Amino acid sequence: MAQTRLDRNEQINGWAFVMPALVLLGIFMIYPILWSLWMSFQVGRGNNFSFGGLANIQRLANDALLVQALTNTIIFFIIQVPIMIVLALLFAVALNDATLRFRGLFRTILFLPCVTSLIAYSSLFKSMFSNDGIINQALMSLHLVSAPIPWLTDPFWAKVVIISAITWRWTGYNMIFYLAALQNVDKSIYEAARIDGIPGWARFWNITVPMLKPVILFTTILSTIGTLQLFDEINNITQGGPGNGTMTLSMYIYNLTFRMMPSFGYSATVSWVIVAIVAVLSIIQFMIARDRRRGA
Amino acid sequence: MTRNVMRWTRTLAIALTGISMASVAAAAAELTVWCWDPNFNIPAMADAGARYTAAHPDTTFNINNVSQDEINQKLQTQLLAGVSDGLPDIVLIQDDNIQRFLQSFPGSFVPLSDSIDMSKFADYKVAAATYEGKSYSLPFDSGVTGLFYRSDYLEEAGYKPEDVQDITWNRLIEIGKDVLEKTGHQLIDMDYNDDGQIIMMMQSTGQWYLKDGNEPNIIDNPALKASLETFQAMAQSGLIKPVSDWTGYTGAFTSGEVAMVPQGVWITGTIKSMPDQAGKWRVAPLPALDGVDGATHYSNNGGSSWYVLASSEHQDEAIDFLKTVWAEDVDFYQGILVNQGAVGSLLAARDGDAYKASDPFFNDEPVWQNFSDWLAQVPAVDYGTFTPEARLAVRAQLPNIANGGDIDQALQAIDAQLRQQMQ
Repeated sequence: MAQTRLDRNEQINGWAFVMPALVLLGIFMIYPILWSLWMSFQVGRGNNFSFGGLANIQRLANDALLVQALTNTIIFFIIQVPIMIVLALLFAVALNDATLRFRGLFRTILFLPCVTSLIAYSSLFKSMFSNDGIINQALMSLHLVSAPIPWLTDPFWAKVVIISAITWRWTGYNMIFYLAALQNVDKSIYEAARIDGIPGWARFWNITVPMLKPVILFTTILSTIGTLQLFDEINNITQGGPGNGTMTLSMYIYNLTFRMMPSFGYSATVSWVIVAIVAVLSIIQFMIARDRRRGA
Repeated sequence: MTRNVMRWTRTLAIALTGISMASVAAAAAELTVWCWDPNFNIPAMADAGARYTAAHPDTTFNINNVSQDEINQKLQTQLLAGVSDGLPDIVLIQDDNIQRFLQSFPGSFVPLSDSIDMSKFADYKVAAATYEGKSYSLPFDSGVTGLFYRSDYLEEAGYKPEDVQDITWNRLIEIGKDVLEKTGHQLIDMDYNDDGQIIMMMQSTGQWYLKDGNEPNIIDNPALKASLETFQAMAQSGLIKPVSDWTGYTGAFTSGEVAMVPQGVWITGTIKSMPDQAGKWRVAPLPALDGVDGATHYSNNGGSSWYVLASSEHQDEAIDFLKTVWAEDVDFYQGILVNQGAVGSLLAARDGDAYKASDPFFNDEPVWQNFSDWLAQVPAVDYGTFTPEARLAVRAQLPNIANGGDIDQALQAIDAQLRQQMQ
């Protein structure tokens, strides 16, 4: 029990060193988070707050627009995340092939979208997919379609545009994780498989994918969270339209706070819905991964 | 010795007083203004400022280009936080957006009706910014609407300008089909993420999305229903070219693709930006809705007004400036009409010379006189607090309606979304 003076001094010094960081973290991270939790129980417009108890949660239950935003968000990540993960994996494996020429060039090209600004690429996609945009012109002059496709004026096609946009932007980013992980896979495993006459796709399926499982899990969680927070592309390409067809949770929160009569309490409640969903999804994904590890 | 010291002290004191007074005067001198359009309200404000500075040399102006979205966000966050650092003295706010500020942040704006006679301005503009009996705005540009059309396309299809004067929307659809068939030009273009077209048709009957303060006026609103039906009929006949943003919207008529532009008068500048189309354009009154009580040819879309923030340290100067230039100077309004195409809301400005001139771009029609005559007849509506919510709810249904969806169901959906968002 007896603490020497040296021990105590080290304790104090240690705390003193981490204190500045802790204080800043407390003021700029923890305090706002707790405050937003408190806000989520407030009702009223603009500056006229009052404590509303569970009123905001009741409002959540009857909010058709929230349901639509949630549905859109789920559609986005159920369709987009697998497409992107598979593409990224295929690109990574292809670019990892030592016999491929100009590997560095291809890697750069695929990673380049990640360093473009979100706003800049969204604006580009918006103009490319507009009614008279380059995509429609190309399709028309190739006689693939007879009338312009209503990319941004039809709820279904608008979703397609958003999914293509985020896939273009983030595939290279995920590919880098896989490329890095592939460097750690022992080449002798592949050699052994080849000697045993295992075909290419089976090597991919039975060696590469299992070896990359932790990274695949990690990127899946990251992409899921990213899709749940999808905002920049929506705000710049479709503004949640047409007909709320691309309304996401983040866009809805923005509308509640800045485009409609400010209802900060309710916006905070919806923000906490995202937190809850992210937490639940992450736990599910971790559990799936743990089961597999135990089974393996 | 002592006397010397005293004299020095006195000189110093006088000098210091002088310096401090000078700095007070210098601080009192600058009014900061936020507004957003470098071709429209910014030069208009700059002109007004220059006129005031000429008469009051110690008051100068700092006019900032701040986008509408940014103005809304900055005001909203700062007023909520109670921080007035960096807020301007005078700010421009769109009319259908002001009520939420007045009601969410009471006391943040100066009631201008205390010092300025509001009867000098168009009624509906004043009504938009009136809250609890006081009016807070200095009404600026009007969004009085007209039907801009390409007379050459009409002629090609066998129509004369008289054929589109004072008609109804159903008649316009017939003409539009004919024009499309004979010339290949669609009637109008429209962004389905913007309900301006619906607003124009509806307000021409004196109806709005809300009534009696904040009661949704959706399901039992014959004007809204007729507007949506008209919109659907146009879309289903292929008369509307869908566009996805403002650039696409203006591009479709500046490039000569569509035949007509029903819009607020502020679009004039954009239409006139194509000098090679001079003489091809004309302006008719907006068509009226069929079978709706109180249907007129006069409506409004957009338009904004000036507000003085209560946090301003130079409130008196700001109010005096708005009063002497914006509420009295008829000559100033002639200048911004000619240079920026800005039709102000000051009724007396209509008697100025510029308003009587005809415009060769529009076939020597007296367009300004027409617009100001129409302006006086725009039915006043109460925008209420929840217009942004209502507009979002209506926009959500537009693509569906354009594709032939059931109007009654759409009205139900609009009503449901609006009521939900109004909690």
